[in-house]
Amino acid sequence: MDFILNPYYLQIGMFIMINAILGVSIYLTLATGQLSLGNAGFMSIGAYTSALLTLKAGFPVYLAIPIGGFAAAAVSAVIGFPALRLKGLYLAIATLGFGEVVRVVFLNLKITNGALGLSGIPSLGILLGKALSSAGFDQGMGGLSVQQLSNVSVLLILLILVVFLVFFSLRLSRCRVGRAFAAIKTDETAAEAMGINTTYYKLLAFLLGAFIAGVAGALAAHITFYIGPKDFDYHRTVEILLFAVLGGSNLVWGPILGATLLTMLPEVLRAASDYRMMIYGAILVTMMAFRPQGLISEETLRFWKAKLGRRKEHDLNS
Amino acid sequence: MKLFAMKKVRKMIAGVAVAGLLLSVSGCGSTASAPASGSGSAQSGTIGTAKIGVVSFLTGGGAAYGKAIKQGLEMAKEEVNTQGKVKIDLLFEDSRGEKNEAINAANKLVNKDNVVAIIGPTLSGEMFAVGPIMNQAGVPIMGTSTTAEGITDIGEYVFRNALPESLAIPAAVKKAKEKYNLKKVALMYSNNNDFTVSGYKTFEKAVKDNGLEIVTTETFADKDVDFSAQLTKIASLKPDAVMVSSLYQEGALILKKAREIGIKVPFVGGNGFNSPQLIKIAGPAAEGAIVASPWFPNKEDAAVKKFVSDYKAKYNEIPDQFAAQAYDALKIMATALEKAGSTTDRKKLRDSLAAIKDFQGVTGKFAFDAKRNPVMSATVLIVKDGQFSELK
Repeated sequence: MDFILNPYYLQIGMFIMINAILGVSIYLTLATGQLSLGNAGFMSIGAYTSALLTLKAGFPVYLAIPIGGFAAAAVSAVIGFPALRLKGLYLAIATLGFGEVVRVVFLNLKITNGALGLSGIPSLGILLGKALSSAGFDQGMGGLSVQQLSNVSVLLILLILVVFLVFFSLRLSRCRVGRAFAAIKTDETAAEAMGINTTYYKLLAFLLGAFIAGVAGALAAHITFYIGPKDFDYHRTVEILLFAVLGGSNLVWGPILGATLLTMLPEVLRAASDYRMMIYGAILVTMMAFRPQGLISEETLRFWKAKLGRRKEHDLNS
Repeated sequence: MKLFAMKKVRKMIAGVAVAGLLLSVSGCGSTASAPASGSGSAQSGTIGTAKIGVVSFLTGGGAAYGKAIKQGLEMAKEEVNTQGKVKIDLLFEDSRGEKNEAINAANKLVNKDNVVAIIGPTLSGEMFAVGPIMNQAGVPIMGTSTTAEGITDIGEYVFRNALPESLAIPAAVKKAKEKYNLKKVALMYSNNNDFTVSGYKTFEKAVKDNGLEIVTTETFADKDVDFSAQLTKIASLKPDAVMVSSLYQEGALILKKAREIGIKVPFVGGNGFNSPQLIKIAGPAAEGAIVASPWFPNKEDAAVKKFVSDYKAKYNEIPDQFAAQAYDALKIMATALEKAGSTTDRKKLRDSLAAIKDFQGVTGKFAFDAKRNPVMSATVLIVKDGQFSELK
């Protein structure tokens, strides 16, 4: 129990959850076969909106976070119409450019405090801790201190969010919208010929992805106390993309597994000190070479289902 | 309309990802030496071994700072362990200059390795993210290179011994004004770096306080290599001096270009100018560059001379400001630990750190003020014959 309640592991858990949310956001745009690299940009819009609302306008955190998501979605609607006329690599370049534009805007605005970034952002953990204290748990509960309790609650909230998003994505892939996404991904021309309004569905996926990225950014801002333009640069975009590349982008489980592994890996490798990032890079390159489709694909799922099913049969027979 | 097969998309995604990977890996030249092994058996008369965690920028673009900090700390550790009453065990963790990594590193040191205090992180942005968490957990944390405004406002467990630019820059500006009888100046700064923007703000205030006229303010970005547009404009306005807030890489290139197009006036730099690398890159163009620094390796002082020669013997280079401040930071920590009389009590350590006064380090006489900022004096330096020397 102590192991799980260690603030170090709880903190890593929070980062995993936030990255998993980002993984879902890139999964949704990839579900229509659109390679959009604007997620770091949308994330920063969500983060800055929510941070500024709480810092300057006195909004409560629980309201500011969804507003951050809506702000990102609103911007994505404006960007989406022209950008989604582009295909493949051109869309990737356009959205990558958009991400950089957003970063430079935040870098030069007065209200975002430029390169100095925003510090002292109200933290979810501390707010929950205060709420717990005032609710009469100031001595902690069940042998846990208030700090531990608030960290655990933040982690739980994030976990619930991730579970909800996974559920949402799974349901989505089985409904009309999800089927349309899959059709567009497989062959856009054929999908259009079948009467699917491709512009509408592509824009919808783009909007959803941006909204989720915005919420993830807002959550990140309220967990780390500080945001600066440097947190949302090109490297961040590549990191988010890697979740999908490593885990596999065909199923929602892929980016979630990718996010979990890629968040944990640098921490697991801390023992290797100076060689840490080299090993990290080597693992990724090996992965790309041996499983370019990602760790989880439909075949993997089928394979394991078959295997587990057979074992059950075997158990029954013996 | 062209067909867009799934396979193609996949290949493309992989391609972009690999390209990104290569980019990010190429910035990770690992420079730090082998990790410190803690020799920590408590001897009679000592109060035991204190575990101190260090979060530093050890790999990536700012690894040069992290390396200097690490070397300075290791020098101090050896000296404390051979002389002092308290033994120190240092545990290093890399932050790669990223706030999330810095949070993880600090959390690991505190919650897994159970360190009594943290030295670091390297960047102010990292401190803004790590500081509140350490403050909440009640772990004293001391930045050795975090110069931005507002660092110690985070909370009462947050300390720094980095001379804030709000002390160093005004000293340099004032001295330059007296010496060169400045009337109007031009300002230049890198606008995408928290450190240099903060430096620029301090410059602007210091220049106004000294009654100087600003003829123009020019901006550039980190990693820029061409400054001709900005410098040509500055040359046409004929200022008496140019104030530059940048890191040493850009600072050196600005000096080179400025001398090339015939700007002969003195250049006053922020903390970024305070590096031997500036002279190395700019060469003769660095002549006349002015910077205020708490650290001056050629100072006529026994402790400084000993530190410089020991450091040179061990690492074969002259210690820079980062090494010197890190060295002093650990010595301050050791003094506070001795006074606290405990190697595990974080609250006692915080209190005795806050009470540090009249500490004599290689960066001069040192004390913490009421807000846990350093009280120390800066020496104004000028580059002369390829070396920093005191501007008198």
